[in-house]
Amino acid sequence: MNWKNVARLIRIDMKAGRLIRGRRLARFRESKLSVYLLYGGALIIGLAVGAVAGFIYNTVIIVADPELGLLFHQGLLDLFLSLPTLVLIYSLVFTMMQQIQRSGVKFSVQSPYWLPITWEEHTLASVFANLLGFPLVSIIFTGSAIIVLSVFIGQVAYAALTVPALSASAFMASTITEILRILQVRFIGAVYKSTGRAAIWVRFAGSLLFFIVFYVVYFFFTSGAGAITFVQTVASAQSAVWFVPFVWLGMTLFSFINGLFMQAFIFMTLSLLFILSLYYAAVMLNKRFGLYEPPAITVSRGLYIPRTGFLGKLGFSTIEAALIRKDFKAFTRRRELMYIFIVPIVIMIVPLMQTIGTMGGQLPTTPAPPFIYGFLFIMPSAIIAMGLGNMLIGEEGEAVWRIYSSPISARSLVKSKYSFLVFFSALVTMVTTIVGVAVFHPSFRAIVVALIESLLLSFALGAVSLANGIKGADFTELPRPRMIRPKWSIINLVTCALTTFAVLVPFIPYLFQFAQSSPIPTMDPYQALAISAVIASIITLVAYRLALRNAREFIAKAET
Amino acid sequence: MPAVEMKGIAKWYGKILAVDNVDLNIQQGEIFGLLGPNGSGKSTTLKMLLGLVQPEGGSVNVLGINVQEDPVAVKRQVGYVPESPRLYEFLTGIEYLDFIGDVYGMSAEEKRERINEYLRALQLEGREGDMISGYSEGMKQKVALISAFLHRPKLLILDEPLSGLDPRSARIVKDLLYELKAQGVTTIMSTHVLEIAQALCDRIAIMYQGRLLALGTMDELRQRAMLPDSGLEDIFLKLTGTGDVRAVVEELLK
Repeated sequence: MNWKNVARLIRIDMKAGRLIRGRRLARFRESKLSVYLLYGGALIIGLAVGAVAGFIYNTVIIVADPELGLLFHQGLLDLFLSLPTLVLIYSLVFTMMQQIQRSGVKFSVQSPYWLPITWEEHTLASVFANLLGFPLVSIIFTGSAIIVLSVFIGQVAYAALTVPALSASAFMASTITEILRILQVRFIGAVYKSTGRAAIWVRFAGSLLFFIVFYVVYFFFTSGAGAITFVQTVASAQSAVWFVPFVWLGMTLFSFINGLFMQAFIFMTLSLLFILSLYYAAVMLNKRFGLYEPPAITVSRGLYIPRTGFLGKLGFSTIEAALIRKDFKAFTRRRELMYIFIVPIVIMIVPLMQTIGTMGGQLPTTPAPPFIYGFLFIMPSAIIAMGLGNMLIGEEGEAVWRIYSSPISARSLVKSKYSFLVFFSALVTMVTTIVGVAVFHPSFRAIVVALIESLLLSFALGAVSLANGIKGADFTELPRPRMIRPKWSIINLVTCALTTFAVLVPFIPYLFQFAQSSPIPTMDPYQALAISAVIASIITLVAYRLALRNAREFIAKAET
Repeated sequence: MPAVEMKGIAKWYGKILAVDNVDLNIQQGEIFGLLGPNGSGKSTTLKMLLGLVQPEGGSVNVLGINVQEDPVAVKRQVGYVPESPRLYEFLTGIEYLDFIGDVYGMSAEEKRERINEYLRALQLEGREGDMISGYSEGMKQKVALISAFLHRPKLLILDEPLSGLDPRSARIVKDLLYELKAQGVTTIMSTHVLEIAQALCDRIAIMYQGRLLALGTMDELRQRAMLPDSGLEDIFLKLTGTGDVRAVVEELLK
């Protein structure tokens, strides 16, 4: 093992992050301070949080209520005890998320495979690199807080063992992520091969399912109630499943605190052996499949026969129809774009899960308050309109030269992109309405208002975000497609928030009425809907014209 | 009417003068080569012909149309292959070409006929239904070339057109350019392979540091360089002042 090679590869991964942040370094050297600022900050904040918590424990809790102090002390020890297992699970979720977000970085650091670097070095560097960013920040923050806090509660030896256990857990999680990454590539290849022409749709459905499951798990672990329940469960159930290798680090701490030093030593040794075996499994898999490339996806076979399609009958020119068809294929085939479909699904699923959870696993039987229904089933289509408008030009990527060099006018470009986003938003509106009606049983009036309002908001937000998306388009593709410049992403967020507010303003009196604490008299929601429609139409018209103007500039200034 | 008429065009990128007061007239049916070292302004000049880069001075007329005034009308009549073309990799080869056919307003029958002919000629048959992401670089270049030829353009602007092509496909493209020339189609190509330029082009322009250093037929360039029996490589190295290769190689071998 050449440790210098491992360090060099990790440095490459860290530097690849520059591309994600969009930094353009004018000088060869960059300040080390800025590179390590994030981790230094986590250390300082962790130390401060530990000190403040310890100070409060010593000066407030123990003095005010010694019994509460004892409970607090026991609670902390329980938390320390569960930390390795918790860190393992959270790190696994976060490193998997890093994998999803940094797949482009992985791509860009895979180039040195022909260099004299062994798979052991590659794998180790990759495992460490997976931890860069949020996972490492969390470990540094938690570790430093624990060390300082342990001084106040008199558990320094325990904390000294907890911190390495945390780091080992994070390493274990990252190794598992590495194994899953390699297996995923191989598995996808096998799926492409076996499903033939259906591979494209299998991939689409599979990716959506993966993202949805992942984000539901993620929100469960990170949302308040779910997270607390989970910590309590781990603390109490860990000893019962001592034979599972993933809790051996937690069992090491459990044995140590109970004075079972031989048992602690055995669990520690077993843990280290398990981590080593995971690492070597990752190395073996990398050796076998590290350079494996999934086979090409075949979508069609046989003699080519052009299809006329129905878009022409809807009034679209050949160019506009071609652009819409191309975008439809992009959004069902490019993984980074499929993401847009996840947002409304997750927005629906998370509150639905919570609602069903609070109802003891049952669907509600009485009508939900219109405000809740309206919010949940207007927002997904509004967000999809905002997201699509934001990225529809930038998603062209480096292939944008095709748009520049083809006889495509600004009018055709805007019309096709806007129609595409309105079509998808309307589709999402229909789906959310059906789900909303099935789950929340709203009144007929609430359904009509929410449905029309959702469409109005989609039209307005789509036009606003398209105007912004054209202006701020970013065609950088590596390490991942950026699609919009950060500045314009923020501008879009602000203008869309203002637009949403302006369109929904007529419903504010109705909201007060719902709260039943306002002197504002009852107002018919249909009147509010009419006013809202006028506001939305004006915004849509103005923003659409602005989008046209931006598109003319965009095509004329192709070089930028 | 010349196919291309450039008068006094200039282009700055920050403090760098990429194209410096270039005048160029290219006749219809001509195969015109644009040569020059890296960063000499070739690609910028080619992009100006399509309105993809706005000149800061002068005027550009293509097929009698002012590019700045009506770029879409110019684009309708031009086939373009940029250097290292990026294609929509999520489309299959056939879907990409279908998209191109639609963008140029081709009829369904014409599209079917021409796409199938080109796929057969450039040996892409059997792979046209695969997503482009699975293609080799050479196959992608073939798709890019077909997309330039498909709509029967009057002017072809090709930046390194034969890059990555297998010998058979390269030969087909070269022969095709000759045939199209006979039909009155103008080709402007940029290449670093000087043998290709010498064999294919009626006239050659050599650009260096944004300026047009020399322009003419092979004989005219030989006269200009005062190298009567030399090939284009020697002429190019002499005119661009980059002929000190021997000393460079000796330095590297030390």
